[in-house]
Amino acid sequence: MDDQNLPDDETLVRLTQNGDTRAFDHLWQKYSPRIYSLIYNMTANHEDANDLLLEVFAKAYRSINGFRGKSSFYTWIHAIAVNMTINFVKKRGRRFQLSLDDLDANVQNDKEFIDLTAANTPVREVDLSELQHRLNEAMMKLSVEHRAVVTMFDIQGMAHAEIAKILGIPEATVRSRLFYAHRQLQNYLEEFRKK
Amino acid sequence: MMLDEQQLQKLLRLKKFEQPPPGYFDRTLNEFHRRQREELLRRSAVQIWFERFVSGLWSFRVPTYAYGAAFGAFLVAATIVGSGVWAPYTETIGTSSDLARVASSPPAIELSSNRLALNGNVDWSKFDRSSASPRVVPVLGPSQSALPRYVLDGRPVSYEASFSF
Repeated sequence: MDDQNLPDDETLVRLTQNGDTRAFDHLWQKYSPRIYSLIYNMTANHEDANDLLLEVFAKAYRSINGFRGKSSFYTWIHAIAVNMTINFVKKRGRRFQLSLDDLDANVQNDKEFIDLTAANTPVREVDLSELQHRLNEAMMKLSVEHRAVVTMFDIQGMAHAEIAKILGIPEATVRSRLFYAHRQLQNYLEEFRKK
Repeated sequence: MMLDEQQLQKLLRLKKFEQPPPGYFDRTLNEFHRRQREELLRRSAVQIWFERFVSGLWSFRVPTYAYGAAFGAFLVAATIVGSGVWAPYTETIGTSSDLARVASSPPAIELSSNRLALNGNVDWSKFDRSSASPRVVPVLGPSQSALPRYVLDGRPVSYEASFSF
């Protein structure tokens, strides 16, 4: 079954609830890259992201019988992933090391990357791996709640309403967290530039 | 020059290019299957049953007709009890024979001298053991000399006028 012929999420969830494990595999194939990206950008560590990805899907599989379809599967599994990652990061505390995934080679052809590096901007002189490192260090200085909002909005491109639903907070709180996080990131990146 | 809001957002969007190596998600799916199998083998039947039971509880929904049925049952019970067809507790004292029996029974406290003093100052030499019955129950009566006192809002209050305001 290729991606175009896949049944919708509702059908896949119902099939999984009836014991069809292949249906859950399709849900994995569909959502694991996004969930991985969410966890990875919140933990900044590939090994942690790998373990958490497996745990999130294992939990989703165990509790899928309790999923009633009040929200989409996408929102539901994101909520599981965000909560598990926040708990994990809080338990882990400061005992972590940045472990970066390699930047995709496509980034060199990305319009936004070209704009950023060609124009007279603070990132012009910085090479790619250093830029990646700086950004991740700045991200890790944010609280995990702020990092979650930045990851979902700025990196994954989710809407405010969707983020609010996933986190179970008002949209206004999402906006204020984003505003505060952006201000902090701008300050951190400015400090790097001065060094 | 500081990064402005738009530049920062563009910079953050570049993070979507941080990807695991190709084939990573297929390999991880295999790892997921392996862990699932291991977990199934590790867990006992009781654990699996309990997990299913809890999961079933969450998905349990009270059928709509159950509310109607419960209300109907309440109405029937209220009608039966209210009409007096069935009374769970019947008063048996009140007939003339019962009253006679109660009157002829020995008083609970026969002699004032046999009252048990609860302050510990008992003169046991004057205590008539022969007339003491197991049914004699010490009684704490209200003292005639003490004014009734009440407690309002945690403060003892008496009938005496208070001089503190």
